[in-house]
Amino acid sequence: MNRRWAGLLLISPALFVIGIFFLVPLVLSVVSSLQAKGGSWTLAHFEKSFELYSTDMLFTVAIVLLSSALIAVVAIAIAGYLTLGEHERTRYLLRWLYRWPLFIPFIVTGQVMRTFLAKNGMLNHVLIGGGLIEPLAAQSLLDWRGIVIAFVWKQAPFVTLLLAGAMASIDVQHTEAARNLGAPRWRVLLGIVLPQVRGTLLVGVVLSFVTMLSVLSVPLMINPNSPTMMTVDVAYRISSHGDYAVANALCLISLVFASLGAWVYLRHAVKRVGGT
Amino acid sequence: MRPDPFVRLTRLTLLTAPLLAAALAVPAAAQTLNVVTAGDQNMVDYVNNFLGPRFEKMNPGVSVKAVGTGPGDAGSQKIYEKLSAQSKAGNAAWDIDVAVIHQRGAATMVKESLLAPYRNQIAAGKLVTRDTATNALGTNVDGFVIPMFHSQIALAYNPDLVKAPPKNFSEIEAWVRANPKQFGYNGVKGGMSGVGFVMGYVSANSGLAKTLEEGPYDAGKKAAIDKSLAGLKEFNKFIVLTPGNAGTLDMLNRGEITMGPVWVDMFYTWQADGKLSPKLKLALPEPGLPGQPMYYVVPAKAANAAIARKFIEFAASPDIQAEGIVKQFNWYPGIDAQHVRAKLDAKSWDKLFTDIKPDTLERFGRPFPLSDYFTDILEGYERVVLK
Repeated sequence: MNRRWAGLLLISPALFVIGIFFLVPLVLSVVSSLQAKGGSWTLAHFEKSFELYSTDMLFTVAIVLLSSALIAVVAIAIAGYLTLGEHERTRYLLRWLYRWPLFIPFIVTGQVMRTFLAKNGMLNHVLIGGGLIEPLAAQSLLDWRGIVIAFVWKQAPFVTLLLAGAMASIDVQHTEAARNLGAPRWRVLLGIVLPQVRGTLLVGVVLSFVTMLSVLSVPLMINPNSPTMMTVDVAYRISSHGDYAVANALCLISLVFASLGAWVYLRHAVKRVGGT
Repeated sequence: MRPDPFVRLTRLTLLTAPLLAAALAVPAAAQTLNVVTAGDQNMVDYVNNFLGPRFEKMNPGVSVKAVGTGPGDAGSQKIYEKLSAQSKAGNAAWDIDVAVIHQRGAATMVKESLLAPYRNQIAAGKLVTRDTATNALGTNVDGFVIPMFHSQIALAYNPDLVKAPPKNFSEIEAWVRANPKQFGYNGVKGGMSGVGFVMGYVSANSGLAKTLEEGPYDAGKKAAIDKSLAGLKEFNKFIVLTPGNAGTLDMLNRGEITMGPVWVDMFYTWQADGKLSPKLKLALPEPGLPGQPMYYVVPAKAANAAIARKFIEFAASPDIQAEGIVKQFNWYPGIDAQHVRAKLDAKSWDKLFTDIKPDTLERFGRPFPLSDYFTDILEGYERVVLK
């Protein structure tokens, strides 16, 4: 057996799996979203998608962008403290604590948030018990805010993990030089550390962006009513109407959003490979 | 000489592939009755914990295996897709022996000849009297189905805060305006109790109640439907949207809302389990809210059709309907109530009718609209109410 054939053979199972389980369904999705009942070509399914779900599309993009931004802020704050913090015990505790949500599935997150953020849920009980808000001022957070909170809670540790690793590998001399010249820690973080790890931050945030776009369980459990995220609409078209055509059209629109993320990711990845 | 590591790895991959394929293939067992059920987890529990063991004891060598496909019409849709695929593939024996499905699913499957007519071959078939045994949302399903149970949507409310529950939809409307954000339902994307409420609202306010239930279908009625939905859009400003069937019950229990549509069986089961305040009560307003049966069906080419019929015969017998369906799971019986009532003590029977009396149920327990109207109302809701 010659080496070239062996190589091709070795990757063939992977190619086969990608072909059968990804490319073929993708092509079928495209076809189904463009085909009318009789088999002729039509844009009606896309028209219907925009007619019924344009609000949800905007809502989805807004939720995911806002969550991504908040995730970045939280991740920078935690990773920054892990790298530059001076109180050893706090750093240890934080390092131990922040990873927990990584091991909790989205659906469990949704379930937990559902009772935590409800009007008479645990959060409001604590706030009322602590005298921070009046009982009458308590409101349910089970709307877009609930989804954002769940996403940030679940995804921020992932980005933090990447970011803290990248920050740890920066030469200590850089930060120490800045500290010696009198820079406060926040300036060291924003001016010295962050610029050196912004590539990692971008990758982490983009991966989170794409993941959040595809999550069904969290919006379904927290706020399946209008406006809601596109994943809920896709599930609804299939389960209540058996309407795969519009569901596929919605999926393709969602794929366009995700590809924007992929484009940013690839552009960055290529630049980095080219640079080294 | 030892071969190149590349080649060795390739050989290894090729060798392990059949093993992997073998592990993925399902081993064929001789006497396994495959029951696939749509609906919530309680449906799977019912078959696995209640029906299965009893049936296995009576039929040594048979093992009953139940799988759930998920709540709502989505669950039935999955069963439909599986049977449809096996039919299109030309398989001689299908691997679902008994399915438990909703009305919309049954209508589709009967139309596409995926089910076997079996009702007249079993004794329990004669005990079935309600019109849902012959008519599923306008489709004739006579002979293909036996209702497993009936379930009903009703208004749950907190009697401490609502002294007299609304008797009809205009009283609901008035109450909601007087008590903003105290009424909650789960829209159309969060489960059937919300869908049922929307159907009830349109029936009550469009003047089309009879047409929606009995047909004939007329696409021209969309305007009237949309008009009543415009009223619902206004109504929605005064209410809270809840996350799902269970979400409405949770919010009632936590006191975040005082009134909302729920499934009667879930309501009683939650109360029995201590998940819902025992103070809450039910009411069924005029001209009614929808309810629906779940059906036992046998696929047209079920591999074990004979045992499947025996299983349904057993499941639809008055004893099992009394002990399992009514007493343990709080559903209304699927077969004629008189046969079931005779098997039960008065207390267990009355528990079903504590808040909603049998005559109220008879008058205001409505079927869901015909499939086409059902779709029109759901899409109208998205177009008119959600925009």
